[in-house]
Amino acid sequence: MARYGMALDYKNCINCKACEVACKEENGVLLGADKHRIWVGSNDVKGEWPLLDIASAAFLPSQCQHCDEAPCQEVCPTNATYYDENHVVRVDSDKCILCSYCMNACPYDARYVDDRTMTVDKCTFCSDTRLARGETTTACQNTCPTKVRTFGDLDDYDSEISELLRTREHFSLKANLGTKPKLFYLT
Amino acid sequence: MKIGPINIPLKEDFSLKSILAFEKTPVNILVAVSVLAMLAMLVIGVATYLLHGHHAYNVTREHPWGLLIAVYIFFVVSSTGFCIVGSLGDVFGFKDFTMISKRAIFGSIVTILAGFTVIAFEIGHPVTMMIYNVLSPGLTSAIWWMGTLYGLYLTFMIIEFYFLLNNDMKKAKVFGLTGLLVGLAAHSNLGSVFGFLNARTISQGVFYPTYFILTAFITGIFLSFIIMGFRYKLNFNEKTKKLLEGLAKIQGLLISILIFFVTWKLLTDIYGGMPNRAEVAEHIIHSGSFWTEVILAMIIPLLVILKDFGKSPVLMFWASLSGMVGIFFMRYNLVHDTQLKPLQMMKIREYQLSPEWIHYFPSVTEIMISLGGLGLCILLYYVGTRAFNLDEDEHH
Repeated sequence: MARYGMALDYKNCINCKACEVACKEENGVLLGADKHRIWVGSNDVKGEWPLLDIASAAFLPSQCQHCDEAPCQEVCPTNATYYDENHVVRVDSDKCILCSYCMNACPYDARYVDDRTMTVDKCTFCSDTRLARGETTTACQNTCPTKVRTFGDLDDYDSEISELLRTREHFSLKANLGTKPKLFYLT
Repeated sequence: MKIGPINIPLKEDFSLKSILAFEKTPVNILVAVSVLAMLAMLVIGVATYLLHGHHAYNVTREHPWGLLIAVYIFFVVSSTGFCIVGSLGDVFGFKDFTMISKRAIFGSIVTILAGFTVIAFEIGHPVTMMIYNVLSPGLTSAIWWMGTLYGLYLTFMIIEFYFLLNNDMKKAKVFGLTGLLVGLAAHSNLGSVFGFLNARTISQGVFYPTYFILTAFITGIFLSFIIMGFRYKLNFNEKTKKLLEGLAKIQGLLISILIFFVTWKLLTDIYGGMPNRAEVAEHIIHSGSFWTEVILAMIIPLLVILKDFGKSPVLMFWASLSGMVGIFFMRYNLVHDTQLKPLQMMKIREYQLSPEWIHYFPSVTEIMISLGGLGLCILLYYVGTRAFNLDEDEHH
């Protein structure tokens, strides 16, 4: 029983998108631009040359936030979306009726339709693949060349992620919505 | 017709022949041909959906709810509206409105059946839904409550209609009141499906659950004019005129309240300046479909009512047709506007333009299934007028 979360040292991100590829490869996510569990966001550089606002062009890797108060879970009419024993937000494809309410309710656009099962799919923190094989990292973390991501147990005082969150300032996305995300962006 | 202890008083001449034996006027033939065309579209639309699944629809990751959700809402709003109008007479005892009760309650049954038909082809797994709705209910989900309560509501409406047919007004009143309360609960839950969306600030809040009830009543009155117009071929007797004048006066008040509500919703949205909400509201008031809704469902009917305080039932019939088109746009706008603002505001692909507004236009399949729902609704209603005596029984 763990409480998994992820810390992202997002300023290290170089937008190589290796994490996106690794996620698709590891978890068998279908090809297609809309079919993605994780992504790297970027903004256009603001300002005019030579006064370019370099900071505005930072990259922001993201995915399902595995919220402790997940709106997608609350709105699911059949409890297809649930918290597993490790507090990871998961979808039981047998129960999913594809009403798409969760896709509308998720503030992070983290859900999409898997065309094979015609049910909603999302990041699982590699629970069915790497974690099931006994590994301790996710595919996106494992492949990242600049060590942006740190995955681990938030309840374990000695874990690397706990240490990071104790020693580095961090923020969460759309924290004002009260979703209590378990993805932490290190500043 | 008797099935065990259940006695369903069908019209004596009811048969396939009586269904086909309508007066062959140009209008009737036009309606009949249109309904057949719409039913053909339903068959083609459903076949396309069964072959291609949701790929036959223009719904996307960013805009997962499309036309079919709007049409489902359109039908269930109509059903709740019919139920409210029907209840005025047989539940609340307003004598002038009793003559429409049976017809309106039947209308509420056929409209919700059409709604369920349409939603069955929008929900990816309707059978799984029925199983896990019971085995694993999501009690925090507005969709669960809405669906479950609408199922119950349909049951109560059918039972009420049965007692109305058999002139058992006491039992009809009990089931009518229960059905009305369950229907109102179901319908406000449908509003809360949008009201609970914290991620979509334009819809979040108490507005939609209450607004849905108000607009249901308005829809019910528009539909009452339409069905009574067809029943009496716009040649109303005194009693019907009295009924329609009363309904028109209520409608005048309701539309005024609606305009007041919508005005304040948009004013607080825009001038409240809340991020996401304000710019979406501004986008809405610059869209043609919003003004279509305002002009067809609010301005035209209100002007017709104000002209002589509801004393022109024929004009109100035409205004109600305009009103129903406006109500359709109202539902479509509600669904589309909720999803206008992308939740992902960063570029996630190379060469992508920065996300602005989500664009959506229904696919041909979605349009065919939607029109098919309308055709089914009209067909069921027409068969009902042939099978049952939907007029008030003389001895009341």
